[in-house]
Amino acid sequence: MRRILDQVAGAVVFPLLAIGISFLIGAIIILATGNNPIGAYGALISGAIGSPSAIGRTLVNATPLIFTGLGVAVAFRAGLFNIGGEGQVFIGAITAAGLGVALGATLGPLAILVCLVACILAGFLWGAIPGFLKAFFGAHEVVTTIMLNFIAINLATYLALNPLRGEGLVPGTDTVAAAVRLPVIGFGLGRANYGILLGILAAVVAYVLLWRTGRGFQLRAVGLSPEAANYAGMALKTNTVLALAIGGAFCALGGFVQVLGVEGKMSIPFVANLGFNGIGVALLGRNHPVGVVLGALLFGGLQAGAQQMQFATDVPLSLSVVLLAVILLFVTATKLVELLFGKRARVFASGTRLDEGLGR
Amino acid sequence: MNAAAPPVLEMRGVTKTFGPVRANDDISIVLGRGEILGLLGENGAGKSTLMKILYGLYRPDAGHILVDGEEVEIRDPKDAVARGIGMVHQHFTLIPPLTVAENIVLGAEPRRGVALNLGEAIKATQELSERYGLRVDPRARVADLSVGVQQRVEILKTLYREARILVLDEPTAVLTPQETEDLFSTLKELVTDGLSIILITHKLGELLGVSDRITIIRDGKVVDTVNAAETDERELARLMVGREVILRVDKEAVKPGEPRLRGEDLVVLSGTGAEAVRGVSLEVRAGEILGVAGVDGNGQVELAEALAGTRPVESGRVYLDGEDVTSVGADARQERGLAYVPEDRQHKGLVQDFALYENNTLKTYDEPPFSKLGWLFPRIMRRRAAENLTAYDVRPRDPDARAGSLSGGNQQKAILARELSGDPGVVIAAQPTRGVDVGAIEFIHRQLIEQRDRGKAILLFSLELEEIRSLSDRIVVMYYGEIVGEMSADEATDEKLGLLMAGRQVEAS
Repeated sequence: MRRILDQVAGAVVFPLLAIGISFLIGAIIILATGNNPIGAYGALISGAIGSPSAIGRTLVNATPLIFTGLGVAVAFRAGLFNIGGEGQVFIGAITAAGLGVALGATLGPLAILVCLVACILAGFLWGAIPGFLKAFFGAHEVVTTIMLNFIAINLATYLALNPLRGEGLVPGTDTVAAAVRLPVIGFGLGRANYGILLGILAAVVAYVLLWRTGRGFQLRAVGLSPEAANYAGMALKTNTVLALAIGGAFCALGGFVQVLGVEGKMSIPFVANLGFNGIGVALLGRNHPVGVVLGALLFGGLQAGAQQMQFATDVPLSLSVVLLAVILLFVTATKLVELLFGKRARVFASGTRLDEGLGR
Repeated sequence: MNAAAPPVLEMRGVTKTFGPVRANDDISIVLGRGEILGLLGENGAGKSTLMKILYGLYRPDAGHILVDGEEVEIRDPKDAVARGIGMVHQHFTLIPPLTVAENIVLGAEPRRGVALNLGEAIKATQELSERYGLRVDPRARVADLSVGVQQRVEILKTLYREARILVLDEPTAVLTPQETEDLFSTLKELVTDGLSIILITHKLGELLGVSDRITIIRDGKVVDTVNAAETDERELARLMVGREVILRVDKEAVKPGEPRLRGEDLVVLSGTGAEAVRGVSLEVRAGEILGVAGVDGNGQVELAEALAGTRPVESGRVYLDGEDVTSVGADARQERGLAYVPEDRQHKGLVQDFALYENNTLKTYDEPPFSKLGWLFPRIMRRRAAENLTAYDVRPRDPDARAGSLSGGNQQKAILARELSGDPGVVIAAQPTRGVDVGAIEFIHRQLIEQRDRGKAILLFSLELEEIRSLSDRIVVMYYGEIVGEMSADEATDEKLGLLMAGRQVEAS
């Protein structure tokens, strides 16, 4: 029990510390732009959680990030960098939009389920590609997942603008039938929909997969020590392919919730950076499913709050980006942490070191 | 020791703590001019920490360092070198593609303009080599040299920097018995030339032969300093461990039975694609320990892995209980009763960041009762781990402790617990006691003998001749990927094995 408390304290204290410091640095920047930090932060916080509609915006922003964060975290637990979340989101989005439009009229709400399964499958297969390239040809997954992003983004964009192009003025696919949309939660939460519950469910699935199944045991062993895993008779290649494929499936669901939960269609340009921000979310969440959910909420909240801040003050929207960058810098720069807080603090930062997964 | 002159080096009251651990607790040592001081202690006793302080790699919390009676402050290795302190690390710091001369002058190169003055470097190397009787070819590439010669280069490196105090950290770990003797006679010559030497080791016998005095460290404290001429292995072992230690292994006569593990014409490639095992055939029978002797890097690791199934064979067959398992994976061989204690417990034997209970089921996590239909039952895994940790006296006995937080000896016991508790028929044990303290060595040896007496077939790989000779019933020697000799344990002598290990033919006696 004591150990669990220690672990939780370590896991929570450190990111909070990083957030605190980044807000201090942000305050200096706000002062430099000639604004009042207290007023600006007040607006930021009220924009994130100040009203039901603000909370709704935070949830809407956070939902896809939970999925992309999990997609990065699961692969990272197996020692692999999934930088392909961006493309995998596009694959999921076009799959959901295309199938949602095609099946919506006949299947009704059942189409949601079909889209869900199809997105998981599409993301799994797309994610498996860099896995295969790594396992059988030794191509580093960082390079291949980045390259596959371009292919996925352009492929999905082409499909949305050509064969699947809709009638409306806004370029993109047709809008799916109302029955195929993820229902909104209500309670004045605006566009917040049940996608967020799906995200939390996905986090539970990721946790169970990693810590309660034999496959997860293998993935974690391979991630922590490929040599020991090989010694124990685990198949490194199979696990490499699976880890990236599972990561791809999670990320593709990020596109699924964005399309069926928020936009109802895949419009072009599609919302950018969901996949890349997933990397930050995973790091902030220390590659743990619970942390990923919290990290996604923080990302979503800062994005929502920054809009309010921009209305209320002269502080530009991009301050939220600066804040996130500084937070991540502190969470990942373990050496810096050591310097500032001594070696003891370093344990708080374990599990977030970028170089830990670079061994292979 | 000259009573009038101050000692060449003195460390007084050195204390260093890492968190709650007192690695060095008020340690004082004295090194006289022209003396070889042995520094003896188990792994984790604090020898390395003390030497790292001397070399400026750590700063002490308290204590003083005196060179020639004068207090000095050593902030980094540069300071240490400037004071005439030279360190030969256990793992060499040479750059293999460069020549001997280039390696020796590296970092303090004689220059012509901005370029390296290679002629000068070669000349300097030759002079040093002749002056101290350390024969090396300055123009040879380090990659082409044997380990013993590479060590000579390391020593020359420190001499080039005008070291007067030489610290050698476990220098014999990688040497054949003959190379060890060469090294020791070199060291004796060096001290007659006025150098002073600190020799760190946990091998008792060696120290007696070469050092003048021996300082024993246990749990971060100096236990005693004894004259080498007035002590013996038994006393040193007792001082080092803090209790009586049985150095001899008692075992009953061998009663070998059926062949359990057999390798036939095995050819195995190393990680770099070279032929590491070049046509090895061997057979281990029930109730015997077959020892494989050899200098590190002669194909032992690859042979062990090929037999265990974690490395593919290029050609040849592996039989387990008469059944061809060449194409069967490591996990399936384990299920058929093959246990494998790997030579590298840090990277292979354990997942350092896994808890002990996870490591305890690293191979059996997918079998009942730990798993059903792909689901894990951590509670049962923990319970089994707790039983094993108790049975094999692993400390701490906490199934949730991170494997990486254990000492070397306890890590090794944890591996033994996992491998032996499944009641295997065949045990491959590679370097089962490397870097493990004396107490744990005793325990591990007893376990292996016990397994043998219960009719298990045991294949033991070890770099320690003493271990091979005291445990094995039969001994084979590996050299350059081949088995170059076989004998019963009774026929074996250090000299015979040593010559075979060095690749020389031995006349049948």
